[in-house]
Amino acid sequence: MFGFLQKVGDYTKDAVSAAKYITQGLGVTFDHLRRRPVTIQYPYEKLIPSERYRGRIHYEFDKCIACEVCVRVCPINLPVVDWVMNKATKKKELRNYSIDFGVCIFCGNCVEYCPTNCLSMTEEYELAAFDRHSLNYDNIALGRLPTSVTTDPSVIPLRELAYLPKGEIEPHGVPATARRAGQLPSEILAETTATTTSPAEPSS
Amino acid sequence: MTIATTTEQICFLILAATIVLGSLGVVLLSNIVYSAFLLGGVFLAVAGIYLLLNASFVAAAQVLVYVGAVNVLILFAIMLVNKKESLSAIPSLLLRRVLSGAVCLGLFTLLLRVAFTTAWPLPGPQPIGEEATLRIGEHFFSDYLLPFELASVLLLMAMIGAIVLARRDVYASDVITGEPADQGLIEKARTPLLINRSETSTTL
Amino acid sequence: MLPSPLVTPGFVAAGLDLQASFSSWLESLGLSVALARAIWLPLPMLLVLTAAVVGVLVNVWLERKISAAVQQRIGPEYAGALGILQPLADGLKLLVKEDVIPARADGLLFTLGPVLVLVPVILSWLVVPFGQNLLISNVGVGIFLWISLSSIQPIGLLMSGYASNNKYSLLGGLRAAAQSISYEIPLALAVLAIVMMSNSLSTVDIVNQQTGAGILSWNIWRQPVGFVIFWICALAECERLPFDLPEAEEELVAGYQTEYAGMKFALFYLGSYINLVLSALLVSVLYLGGWGFPIPVEWLAQWLGQPIDAPLVQVITASVGIVMTVLKAYLLVFFAILLRWTVPRVRIDQLLDLGWKFLLPIALVNLLVTAALKLAFPMAFGG
Repeated sequence: MFGFLQKVGDYTKDAVSAAKYITQGLGVTFDHLRRRPVTIQYPYEKLIPSERYRGRIHYEFDKCIACEVCVRVCPINLPVVDWVMNKATKKKELRNYSIDFGVCIFCGNCVEYCPTNCLSMTEEYELAAFDRHSLNYDNIALGRLPTSVTTDPSVIPLRELAYLPKGEIEPHGVPATARRAGQLPSEILAETTATTTSPAEPSS
Repeated sequence: MTIATTTEQICFLILAATIVLGSLGVVLLSNIVYSAFLLGGVFLAVAGIYLLLNASFVAAAQVLVYVGAVNVLILFAIMLVNKKESLSAIPSLLLRRVLSGAVCLGLFTLLLRVAFTTAWPLPGPQPIGEEATLRIGEHFFSDYLLPFELASVLLLMAMIGAIVLARRDVYASDVITGEPADQGLIEKARTPLLINRSETSTTL
Repeated sequence: MLPSPLVTPGFVAAGLDLQASFSSWLESLGLSVALARAIWLPLPMLLVLTAAVVGVLVNVWLERKISAAVQQRIGPEYAGALGILQPLADGLKLLVKEDVIPARADGLLFTLGPVLVLVPVILSWLVVPFGQNLLISNVGVGIFLWISLSSIQPIGLLMSGYASNNKYSLLGGLRAAAQSISYEIPLALAVLAIVMMSNSLSTVDIVNQQTGAGILSWNIWRQPVGFVIFWICALAECERLPFDLPEAEEELVAGYQTEYAGMKFALFYLGSYINLVLSALLVSVLYLGGWGFPIPVEWLAQWLGQPIDAPLVQVITASVGIVMTVLKAYLLVFFAILLRWTVPRVRIDQLLDLGWKFLLPIALVNLLVTAALKLAFPMAFGG
């Protein structure tokens, strides 16, 4: 009899705690109801990609020396470097260069290893196409520069969370001049050079 | 003939036809799932007849018990053991069919005889309509108390029997130590824990 | 079921009786009584059907908007102001979509399944009262009719699950039926406690019994446990989120709806939302005083010095009643949607444990306690 009562008591305690937790959860969801939407209304508003954003690859034909380093470092040997040896000048003559962005994983190895810096990452990520073969960019297409989100007059550029002032979690309504939280990379650099040079001063 | 009586007659004809054709289908169709669904339809039509007889409580009870419980149970049983096998040829099938047909025909003639020889009071007693619920309750707890209680005892027996059949054979106490076994453990897995423990302790 | 205008007890104001006024107007035009009644009959049915469908549209819109707000999104925005036409667009899309019946499916049962799911739910609107005389039919078995009609639904679910010829569909159908059956019992027991207090199965009588002292006489104060049990079971019957295992995406694709497309899928969709609105309406009828205003309208009328039987007062009272019923129901719907984004889905064994080992004993104890209290305090618990 006592054991049964004990069981009933435990059961009641469980039920009460379950009710408590569900109420807490409801409190959380209810609290979210009155918060502003954090979503970006995409075609009209766009987030500004960060400095190191790895978007579509840009390529400068004139800088390229057809060394094929990009092909070797690519995980799947994707770039196609079409060159012929000019027997007269004994130099490689580049004819075509192409990267298929339907296959590229945007790892950035080619950009990292390019000896002449003719490859670079852009901030373009809108690569939708009706045909996957139209994603195979040749050197002309690779040479085009994308429109920046900040310069496009039809788009409201919005900053990402890491670039917002301290305490802001939402890019809407933050003035463009408001300073981001923390130090800028240039400031960090200046500070570190100052601290590394200042102890060196007395010794010299 | 008023609108009400005409509607009533049409409803009666439709319901009666549904019952007759549906029950023939239940018996004659070779697909057992169809038979089960048709049985549900027949039960619903019977509930409709009760409605026409101004017995709405009985109709609702008919739907709840026969359609909602009995028929769903039958369907469950069919669907859980849904074997796709055709009926194997039973020896002397024709003889069996003739015999069962004869039995059914005999029952039918008996029913017909009862229906025709009974002196039905026409018109019947005035339907009490909405008060039927009260009246049924009163009868259950006065002059029909014994059958009512017997039926509930029968259901209780069936329930206990089902529990006994469904319950796995488990030890109420540990075989070796003799201390009471954890009921939760027993109910969860198929007691590999307990059996393993006893096996290992015997080998030790 | 033919509507039978019952003579309601006279302790509350009779309220607006549209049928009587309409019939007397037709009779004054020289029509016979039977014909006037035959003309009247389809009108409330059509009205309630329209109300149910509009209620679903509002519900879908609310669901999408509230879900968006909870997740800090905006939700539908371009179809009409605030996306209010989005449910309509969804419905139209489903209407013109191709109706696919899988090649190896059982065509007849496949078509019949969604119908069997939807029809009982719509029939149950028969007993939902929006006012003293503002319901299709004040049948004596009232709330019992709803319980028995909702027990037809599992057959439709099993039928569509079986006919799809798909293992996920069959499993989903079986789960839905098992869930529906196991939660019907505590639900019926919770309703039984209410019925015991109001001495009647009729929804109108149940509301009338709660109209004595406004908000204080609502059943929720006398049946808090019953209210919780009823609401949990109603959510389980509607397959709302903590209990939406029959459609658990991760395990069963979409359960019994997997093979459905177009209008047949829309029937399931409609059925589940009509069922949610209906359950919310019935909670408001059973526990929250139905069409009753928190302060009795009779008192207000008396305070304003207006006779309760004046035509204008009657119209206002009826409108207030409809608004109150719908308001309470949609508050509960809001709660259900909020709950959807709060609690995770339960497992099938947890679901059955909750139904059989927790809700059923609690509902039985609740019933017994109610009976004891009714015997001990016949004044407060309906003698």
